[in-house]
Amino acid sequence: MWDLRLPSGLFFTLIGLILCATGLAGPTHPAPLTEVNVNLYAGAGMLAFGGVMLWLGLRRS
Amino acid sequence: MRLAPVDYLIIALYFAFVLGIGWLIRKRVASSEDFLTSSRSVPLWITSLAFIAANMGAQEMIGMCASGAKYGLMTAHFYWIGAIPAMIFVGVFMMPFYYGSRARSVPEYLRLRFDEKTRTFNAVTFAAMTVFSSGISMYALGRLFQLVLGWSFTASVLLSAGIVLAYTYLGGLTSAMYNEVLQFFLIVLGFTPLAMLAVHRAGGWEGISSRLPAMMTHSWAYTYSPSANAMGVEVFGLVMGLGFVLSFGYWCTDFLVIQRALAANSMTAARNTPLVAAFPKMLIPFIVIVPGIAAMALMQMNVGYSLPPKGSGYDYDLTLTTLMASFYPSGLLGVGLTALMASFMSGMAGNITALNTVWTYDIYQGHIRKGAPDSHYLMVGRLTTIVGTGLSIATAYLAQLYNNIMDLLQLVFGFVNAPLFATFLLGMFWKRATGHGAFTGLLAGTGAAALTHGLTLAEGKGAWIARLHEFPSTMAQNFWIAIVAWTTCFLATIVVSLLTRPRPESELVNLVYGITRLPPPEPQARWYQRPAVLAVVVGISCLLLNIWFG
Repeated sequence: MWDLRLPSGLFFTLIGLILCATGLAGPTHPAPLTEVNVNLYAGAGMLAFGGVMLWLGLRRS
Repeated sequence: MRLAPVDYLIIALYFAFVLGIGWLIRKRVASSEDFLTSSRSVPLWITSLAFIAANMGAQEMIGMCASGAKYGLMTAHFYWIGAIPAMIFVGVFMMPFYYGSRARSVPEYLRLRFDEKTRTFNAVTFAAMTVFSSGISMYALGRLFQLVLGWSFTASVLLSAGIVLAYTYLGGLTSAMYNEVLQFFLIVLGFTPLAMLAVHRAGGWEGISSRLPAMMTHSWAYTYSPSANAMGVEVFGLVMGLGFVLSFGYWCTDFLVIQRALAANSMTAARNTPLVAAFPKMLIPFIVIVPGIAAMALMQMNVGYSLPPKGSGYDYDLTLTTLMASFYPSGLLGVGLTALMASFMSGMAGNITALNTVWTYDIYQGHIRKGAPDSHYLMVGRLTTIVGTGLSIATAYLAQLYNNIMDLLQLVFGFVNAPLFATFLLGMFWKRATGHGAFTGLLAGTGAAALTHGLTLAEGKGAWIARLHEFPSTMAQNFWIAIVAWTTCFLATIVVSLLTRPRPESELVNLVYGITRLPPPEPQARWYQRPAVLAVVVGISCLLLNIWFG
């Protein structure tokens, strides 16, 4: 049967890559209330989540 | 709030994925049952996440964050006592009858257990309610995007509704549920950084506690009297009204959520659906309510954050979006807004798929055309998706024009829903309950709810008959209306059942406790897959949360 882990893993991997790239390049509009590079950290988190989903999905098939 | 190209890229990517999932799943739809019930084939991890995602509409996210800012941690009661105990109950005690009866919908269970008129009453009010609530939440989303992003109301409403329509039309319930899981992940991953950043900036939980009145950071300590907390409620109204009647009435009888459990691929998976869902559910307050509380602390700190004023207070509904504008740079802002759209879509798809099934099987097949070939009902289900979406859009525009009518409708639906759990409780656990009893009980309970509202006043609302009593808040009034409605329905059903002829026991097998042989746990189920074990673990975890944040 069709496995949701592959498309959702792919989705979060892509979003994670986009966020990490934005985090490294510096955002167009920075956030007024925080200095933390949140794009980079959140992006890394999503990349990890997407990677785990992909790994789980691929391991089975 | 200004968006950068990267934000639009993320939104577009999300649209592409949800539509793509609908497109991939379309091949799995060959019969009306595939489209409307997923033919009982969905694995547990999907059913359980879809179970809570379908309930997490945009209004819930915006509203719970707003309540967090307005009432503080007491808002968590909508989860910790207003959801978890009922989710345990439905999984352990009620699911064997829902799933075991092979009913395709909650109204259909009522027909099997009671009679046609009880089923029809429930089906018609439920169908009207789903259209209404998806329209209202569409209106809220359109208005919010208009206000915050300057997008046109029509464009946001039509685009988001169009996407939900497309993937639901293609893949039916399965497509809606698979997308709900993706949306659930996005909501959690998109909102968690906001909670962390807001709490961190406000000085952690200790910083928040030191800047706000103690009432804001406790869930139970100030419920001894309605005047001690901002919600204006006391322990009894809270526990009986919210924790028992409203919560069990929603989580145990609302087809929107039950439908997800009924799509599970085995009895054990169906029973475990609400139990597994309870784990993430009890943690949701930390990503939606806590940021709202942190927002109030930030306002005391003169760091440049404030909510726009409204009347004598603040416009709390903007808490979530103003926090995002303050803490999310472009990039993550796109993710946050997409998460908000995802929550809207998961709520709307939940309403639409539930409407499809109830309309097609309970109203159309039950009353308009019986005995047609299955392909006909598949077509009706698909058409209902289109018509239901159209009606929701119409409701959204109606809400924009006539706010008062919407308040009235919301009130009326509240009356209809409050007594429902009494009917199910008696239906499932008392074999003597009859169809006439159930129907009379529902009508009497609904009437009692309306009467209570007409005789009591709260914040200027109600008392349209006479003024016998005044409640400190509309929330307290709602809780007490629910208690009165439930009690009336419970008693009326018992009295009328005893006066009418019972159904023979042989007809009640698989429908009523005591006559039905409960399914033994499947032999391959490990100890941690047993509903009873899960229920105990969920119960203890929820109890600990209540004590820790009491």
